[in-house]
Amino acid sequence: MQASSMAGVAAATPKKNLLRLLLLPLVILAGMGLSVEAGLLGPLGVQVGHLWATLSIFGVGSAILFLLLLFSGPQKGPALTDLPRWQLIGGFLGPMYVVVLTLATPHIGIAMTMIAILSGQVGKSVLIDHFGWFGTQRKRVNGERWVALALIVAALVLIARG
Amino acid sequence: MNLILLLVLVIAAGAVLSVQAAINGRLGQAVGVLRSSLLTFAVGAISTALLIFFFEPAQAVSLLDVPKWQLTGALFGVVYMMVMVGAVPVVGTAVATVAVIVGQLGMGMLIDNFGWLGNPAIELSGSRLLAMLLLALALVFMYRSNSRLAD
Repeated sequence: MQASSMAGVAAATPKKNLLRLLLLPLVILAGMGLSVEAGLLGPLGVQVGHLWATLSIFGVGSAILFLLLLFSGPQKGPALTDLPRWQLIGGFLGPMYVVVLTLATPHIGIAMTMIAILSGQVGKSVLIDHFGWFGTQRKRVNGERWVALALIVAALVLIARG
Repeated sequence: MNLILLLVLVIAAGAVLSVQAAINGRLGQAVGVLRSSLLTFAVGAISTALLIFFFEPAQAVSLLDVPKWQLTGALFGVVYMMVMVGAVPVVGTAVATVAVIVGQLGMGMLIDNFGWLGNPAIELSGSRLLAMLLLALALVFMYRSNSRLAD
């Protein structure tokens, strides 16, 4: 019994590893797609206005997702209207991000915009954990995270000066 | 616009993005990824439309006048979402995150350097390369600190 389950694990692992290796380039490509999206947004925003460029993203995205949802059959889980209200506000935050993308990329470039976005994400998580903002439990942030934050700040200083 | 101010704005956008990810993560678990994404995109479209209606000055060029390929940005976002939904359970969040960042920065540098998609060309300078290197190091430290917390 023990031996056979061990053999099962051994047989499954190479298969899973292969799947991982196949999926990894796909994930990298998906990340490249995000930069292409940002690259399309900047010039578009300059031509038609930042808010219109943002609407093109959310409008087209909504249309595609609506069609996908319509043809993928009934969905599991509770109705959206049964959920607590605050869980529904994520949609207001997305446009802020996209508008800032269209504003920033023509001036600081796409790679640097991505670095700055990333430092906002990392910095926020470190600071929120450390000070316990927004009602989260206060956790001590270890040295490695502070080093990471310091490196990111240094990277940002380099961008701002260069 | 002032460069420093712009950088602060972008950093704030990153912070907002991670708040959104936290909220949407909960929502996605409850109602499924398709419904939570549609809600996010639809609320985004409606609030942007309201802002345009009341605040956007008239533009000389409309979305219908630009070349169609400039309107394909949303497709990349939706494909990204699908890939992540499929891949994260197999490769793990940490690996997926690093792979996405590698793709983002690599492609970002290529677009900047060659000025693809109608962007101004920004040559890959020494300080830009150094900034990338520092970021890569920072990710290593984040990864190590996270894996230690998981132990």
